[in-house]
Amino acid sequence: MYLTELHEQVRDLARQFSDEVIRPAAEALDHDERFPSEIYDEMAKLGLFGIGVPEALGGPGFDSLTYALVMEELSRGYASVADQCGLVELIATLLVRHGTKEQQALLGDILGMRTKVAYCITEPEAGSDVNGIRTTAERDGTGWVLNGGKIWIHNAPVADLGFVLARTDKSAGHRGMSIFVVDLHAAGVERGPKEHKMGQRASQVGALNFTDVRLPATARLGEEGRGFHMMMSVLDKGRVGIAALAVGIAQAGLEAALDYAGTRKQFDRTIGEFQGVQFLLADMAKDIEAARLLVHSAASHIDRGLDATKACSMAKCFAADIAVARTADAVQVFGGSGYIRGFEVERLYRDAKICQIYEGTNQIQRVIIARELMKKGARG
Amino acid sequence: MKVLVPVKRVVDYSVRVRVKADGSGIDLNGVKMSMNPFDEIALEEAIRLREKGQVDDVTALSIGPRTVQDTLRAALAMGADKAVHIELPADTPIDSLAVAKLLDAIVREDGYSLVLLGKQAIDTDLGGTGPMLAGLLRWPQASFASELTLIDTHLRVVTETDSGLRTLELPLPAVVSADLRLNTPRYASLPNIMKARSRPITVRTPAELGVDVTPRLRQRAVSPPPARAKTAIRVESAADLVRSLRAEGALK
Repeated sequence: MYLTELHEQVRDLARQFSDEVIRPAAEALDHDERFPSEIYDEMAKLGLFGIGVPEALGGPGFDSLTYALVMEELSRGYASVADQCGLVELIATLLVRHGTKEQQALLGDILGMRTKVAYCITEPEAGSDVNGIRTTAERDGTGWVLNGGKIWIHNAPVADLGFVLARTDKSAGHRGMSIFVVDLHAAGVERGPKEHKMGQRASQVGALNFTDVRLPATARLGEEGRGFHMMMSVLDKGRVGIAALAVGIAQAGLEAALDYAGTRKQFDRTIGEFQGVQFLLADMAKDIEAARLLVHSAASHIDRGLDATKACSMAKCFAADIAVARTADAVQVFGGSGYIRGFEVERLYRDAKICQIYEGTNQIQRVIIARELMKKGARG
Repeated sequence: MKVLVPVKRVVDYSVRVRVKADGSGIDLNGVKMSMNPFDEIALEEAIRLREKGQVDDVTALSIGPRTVQDTLRAALAMGADKAVHIELPADTPIDSLAVAKLLDAIVREDGYSLVLLGKQAIDTDLGGTGPMLAGLLRWPQASFASELTLIDTHLRVVTETDSGLRTLELPLPAVVSADLRLNTPRYASLPNIMKARSRPITVRTPAELGVDVTPRLRQRAVSPPPARAKTAIRVESAADLVRSLRAEGALK
């Protein structure tokens, strides 16, 4: 097809790693809500973090399509592991595009998982409406003082370095926010307890509070007042990543359901011989393939330097929706077993739900798609 | 010391192969291809010897059309130092003896002390290349290695036989073929996969090497195996099982 042998080579590596290392560990990680450092260390050695970071900055320098292929395969093993890869990719992309030389020097330890990162945007009053953030950074001599609080922050309980969106000008709206690189072990940083989530439970999520945290002048990433725009600039890639992650969850569900349908017997035949079950499997397969093609198309938009906003929103929205719907079908194929802890499809259904919520809710995605339609027409 | 590892591009192990409608061969159209898994094990072993400092240089070699360069890139990504491609026009049939002759020519020209190869390729399962190469070179050989130690100028190789394990000692130079249990090949890292794209590959031809690759074997027809009869039956007890096995002549 349109994948090169290089794409396939990297995908196959991620696929094999996922089958051999990630997928067998997923059930226990979900149960224990544990941060799997040992898996991340191995992934770091294989160069599976910061896939798009150019070779000059210490990364492997692959395109967004490769990133999407890797995300799907990792997620097929376990979505939490893929989401760690996605988080590092976003932070790394920010540093590559906007970091100073000194800030880019952080990439080595970030890609090597020696420094764990957190991307700190969401606040109690600022979810979809990012402009509602109340965390502030005020000038203090040559540096800054950070005050405020963030919630639902991925990696907050374990992270070393936060990339924090804070208001630097109260009167400037979207142009009044900046991003700061914050040492989360510094005085004035307080971590809330780990949240207990429905799915993707190995992802450590919690709150971060900042009280008079002093930041040096070098802590600001990019220009003052451009924080929101920098955040938006990496959003396309973030959405492709989550869309691919959603496809991976759904694919794992299809694999499990197909396997079960071929072995589980009722009425003296495998349940896969009944058309009612066959139709569930067929719908899973076609929706997954459609979502995958949307993801690949969106990633190719980014790689070709085209406006990828609509393509990425469509991919994220569709993939997340079908991940929820089709993992529900996978549970259905399993019948009562699918509702029991320890059966993979039960976890997959829980893991899928957040895909409709994070990286921009699917309602926001529809708003974006509609806005792009109004702006550029039905073929735009 | 230099090691040569021939790697063959074969249909991926996960592919369910199909015979072409006209029975002339296997349908390779759009089929996923990979490095022969036993060759991957041989390559891993060679790289480990180099990492231990016992070997200076690991060269991967592949024979075939341009597409085999993808397999050589995979070898470079795993850690091979050099890659040699012996180019054949697309769809050129080649048999084990011709492969062994090409390897023989390369070994004599470039001066290798050890050839490590897979015990067989998973496409034809012939397993002829290693022994033939050892014969042409008049080198000692160890086939089906599951353990390999390099001690000064000789090798200690544990090989798998039908009746158990056999330990052999061979002076170098030698030919050793790798079995499944020799090691577990590493994953190639993403940076190494990327770097391998721009590494040089030396291209040679059979003519340059003075080897006539005209096959001595001709493949006349390929057919799928007959479908197995469904002979499995369910028995109620161990006594029934023994009775059934006796009736089938499997037990006396």
